[in-house]
Amino acid sequence: MRAAASAAAPTRLADEFFYLAHDDQTGRSRLFESATAHGLAAALLLELYGEGRITFEGRHIRVIDTLPPRDWLRHLVLDRLVAEPRHTATRTWLAFLGTTAYEQVATRMWQRGFLRQQQVGRLWRQRIIYIPTDVNTAAWSWARLSYQLRRYQRLNAFDAALAGLALHTALDPILLDGAPQATRAFLREQVNQTPLPLRDLLADLGAVVGGAVLSHRTT
Amino acid sequence: MSHSKPDTVSAVLARGRLGIPSVVFFVIAAAAPLTVVAGGATTGYAVTGVTGIPVSYLVVAAVLALFAVGYVAMSRRIVNAGAFYTYVTRGLGRPAGVGAAMIALVAYNAMQIGLYGGAGAVTAQFLNRYGWHLTWWICALAVWAIVAGLGVARIDLNGRVLAVVLVAECVVALTFDAIMINHPADGTISFDTLAPSHVFAAGIGAALVTAITGFVGFEGTVVFSEETKDPRRTIARATYIAVAVTGLLYGLSAWAMSVATGPDHIVEAARADGTDLIFNLVSPYLSQSVITVARVLFITSLFAALLSFHHTVARYLFALGRERVLPAVFGQTSRRTGAPKVGSLVQSGLAFAVLVGYALAGADPIVHLFFWIAVSGGLGVLILMTITSAAVIGFFARITHTEGPWRSRIAPGIATLALGGILTVTLREFATLLGVEPDSPLRWAFPAAYAAAALLGIVWALVLRSTNPDVYAAIGLGADSDTGPLRAPDLIRQPS
Repeated sequence: MRAAASAAAPTRLADEFFYLAHDDQTGRSRLFESATAHGLAAALLLELYGEGRITFEGRHIRVIDTLPPRDWLRHLVLDRLVAEPRHTATRTWLAFLGTTAYEQVATRMWQRGFLRQQQVGRLWRQRIIYIPTDVNTAAWSWARLSYQLRRYQRLNAFDAALAGLALHTALDPILLDGAPQATRAFLREQVNQTPLPLRDLLADLGAVVGGAVLSHRTT
Repeated sequence: MSHSKPDTVSAVLARGRLGIPSVVFFVIAAAAPLTVVAGGATTGYAVTGVTGIPVSYLVVAAVLALFAVGYVAMSRRIVNAGAFYTYVTRGLGRPAGVGAAMIALVAYNAMQIGLYGGAGAVTAQFLNRYGWHLTWWICALAVWAIVAGLGVARIDLNGRVLAVVLVAECVVALTFDAIMINHPADGTISFDTLAPSHVFAAGIGAALVTAITGFVGFEGTVVFSEETKDPRRTIARATYIAVAVTGLLYGLSAWAMSVATGPDHIVEAARADGTDLIFNLVSPYLSQSVITVARVLFITSLFAALLSFHHTVARYLFALGRERVLPAVFGQTSRRTGAPKVGSLVQSGLAFAVLVGYALAGADPIVHLFFWIAVSGGLGVLILMTITSAAVIGFFARITHTEGPWRSRIAPGIATLALGGILTVTLREFATLLGVEPDSPLRWAFPAAYAAAALLGIVWALVLRSTNPDVYAAIGLGADSDTGPLRAPDLIRQPS
């Protein structure tokens, strides 16, 4: 397990969350739409946080380094943050990035060969869905987190952030299906030990996802 | 930082936001105009024997408009503004807030479950005209199954469907009104039932709470405050429009019925014909197909209200579960649909148990379920609105704000007094409302249920304060309760 982890140490949190939130074989969503969208948006912000470009202070995002990241999607998100200094509320950015995060993250993964596009539905209901090209790669984020949590192994910073995203988008039942209560407590404990800025972001993510449940209407 | 650059973030977020008409359609659909006109007003005449129903609708509309002034002003300053108990928590403290939450759970459940009686009886009556032999409870359970299914799937009626149905309902009601007014009973149009003197007559409490029941749902405008184009204006205007439109429609229709039967005969006629009254009054002057369409719309309006109140209860349970005031399991959502599934299933389970109980007991679906239970729900909402109105005053007295005295003190003050007055006469005349003898223990049973619920909530809040301070601190935060342990909660917001 450990050898495999170091061989393919994942670095893109949004890609990993995308895998977690979709079925590894069919690409079907495991979560409702707004939770996936906001989770991906939070993951993109966390990628910038991980690169030291931004940080979270209470309910607000602060840009600390405007040096463009190499990854085009991170670059795009940071550019927006820099260009719109009048908006600092984390929730505003989660909502804004959530409108495009699914397409953007899927595109980034498709460009790197992790996903393939497939047209589904007939006639007027045609749409493009993304399917993982390799089941093992797709299942890896789930397997890694689930395995470590069930064995009460401390998560590294990357996986703790991923577990936090799962917890606050109500994706944790997937990770811990059938696991005892103590495992859930361990997951919470691991997430609670992450740095304060990250927990600030996760709190806003949880509130936004919960708010989407309360104000839902079918459109 | 240049402010002349286009604000792309706001522009993107403004897409798909709601305007005034959408918000109005959503909330009037929950109030279900045709249900109130054909079902509520007629049964109100029949059970209470009070002829002042039309003027009651107008009086209540005026009081609710006053209530809305402070309510809407406060809604922009708090999180979880969709629930009455949040207002009470912020204005009168957390124990009162949890008490209000328990009242709300009983009240909205009662509203919803009561409507099944109407839906079952009216649907059975409709289908039995075509040679079916269905009992009310078979139809009620069929409707229940659909609502329960849509509830866990988190499907509510699409905005466009609602708009079409709602406009059709209003057209039908207005057409019927015009016909009834043009064919008065004794050849002269009588304004008797609109006379303000009814407000001081015996039995008016029963009429007023019947009227309030018809408006329940209008308070839902604030749920959409974060999704509107202009939160400051949209919600306020949508609320006033909803109250004005429904108030005038209800008042006009209830009056028109009394014109068609004659004010002296409206009670007898309502007792004889029940929910068929309005259709029977206009049927000599309209083709049968129009009447059939109107009957179908009556059923769809009941259905829209049922679904809307089902979602309301499920969301209350979800918010309380997220706060851990209720067991955390209520805060769970369905992964695939995002429905507050535990809340939804519990509500459906409760409704099922009540329906089976009524079917086994052989009770009357219209009088004992639709009217008694739904109007008891109306009583609960009346209690909630009274406390909320007082909470608005308490809230604005505690914070620094820029609202004028009208919104922060005067309007909520008058609304509190008026609602408290209605509540007092209602409780005094609860026997009239139920149509039972003055010494019947039933007249105390329904109000006592609310007292017990409130007491339970207050005690529970005090227990939480000493045993679980984190949960106590998060009361009233709803979905935001996650942020509680981390930082000072966002109790008061700067209005946008």
